[in-house]
Amino acid sequence: MADLGFRENVMGPQPIGKFVEEPPELRQTADRLIEALMRGDMEAAKAMTDPQAYEDLQALAAAIAPEHYDTIEYIGRARVAKHFFLKVLLPGTPPVKFQFRLGQNAAGEWTMREANDLTGRRSAWSR
Amino acid sequence: MERMIAVDKLARPEDHILLRSDRLRNARAEQGLTPNSPMPYEDDFLKSRMHGICAGEFQAMEAAGRTLYDFPDAPWEFQLDMARQVWDESRHAEIYMKLLEYVGSYYGEFPEGEVLWSCTQAEDPAARVAGINRGLEGLACDVFEQLIRLAQNMGDEVIERAVDYVLADEITHVRMGSKWMRKLTEGDPERLKRAQAFQDSIDDIFNFGNGRTFVENAEHVKQRVGDKEFEIDRSITIAREARLLAGFTEEEIDRLVKGFRKSAAY
Repeated sequence: MADLGFRENVMGPQPIGKFVEEPPELRQTADRLIEALMRGDMEAAKAMTDPQAYEDLQALAAAIAPEHYDTIEYIGRARVAKHFFLKVLLPGTPPVKFQFRLGQNAAGEWTMREANDLTGRRSAWSR
Repeated sequence: MERMIAVDKLARPEDHILLRSDRLRNARAEQGLTPNSPMPYEDDFLKSRMHGICAGEFQAMEAAGRTLYDFPDAPWEFQLDMARQVWDESRHAEIYMKLLEYVGSYYGEFPEGEVLWSCTQAEDPAARVAGINRGLEGLACDVFEQLIRLAQNMGDEVIERAVDYVLADEITHVRMGSKWMRKLTEGDPERLKRAQAFQDSIDDIFNFGNGRTFVENAEHVKQRVGDKEFEIDRSITIAREARLLAGFTEEEIDRLVKGFRKSAAY
């Protein structure tokens, strides 16, 4: 978030809305999903993925060499209504960067709805 | 010289989520929301509308800067107007970043799409100012006028005044666009036609598929911000007065409304 100063010291109008907090289960699911991909455990990763995103999952799995990465760095997050996008870097050689969307299904479980491998691309805007 | 640079050459902080429009639409549609744009009945309406505007101000700043750079042989006064616009848009981006904080958000809370940049992709400076200054900034007049009325309904002077300052600049930008579209195409009706067609294509993109009308004909819905509830237009209205101030003719405004009505969305 941009540094706009310390609002506590400001005499002017104070915020009229509250920040939306990230649900704790979101990051837990993301951790489990990425760890499964890092292990090369496609069955586990698939269990946390909506069928519409199976193809995206395959592409991600192809980009992440099994048992090669051990660190997850979350570098970005945004949301569209109640779905969250997370941008992730797996440092290593080569580093892998991707972003994916998680949303809750009817049972209240967070599942991956889409993923986008960003490795070697300038941005997710690249075609 | 490469004049139509790809959207992914725009620099953005690494922690921002950038999305192609189709993915943004999918994410909204899957949640049962209208695909193209946050609508007034959504909880996040004010935040996401302001976020979209803020991203638009950044892209408008970049577009005006790019126009200045791309056409070094354009008249000096044209270059001066573009430079002024870069300065205006950067100030608007700052204003909206602060407004985002004010409504409990921040720049980067929502993904940024690329659709506005796609509207800057014209080789001819006349088409570029027709598209950006008349098409996009004309849309900004509509959106800002609506936000001002919304703020008035809320009794919120911070939003009302901040957006009013920005609207005053946008009106000037549209006027600049009209002036240069005509001046650069003087004696070349075909070039003028092409510039206007480019603007029409942009107006078509932003009909939002939901029946845009004038303020007096707009349907209303309830909107809640914090503990306050108030009425708001169901869709983006057309700000006739602001557009007239900006130099659009009555005929052009009527053409805009007819264009929205005959779009495939109706």
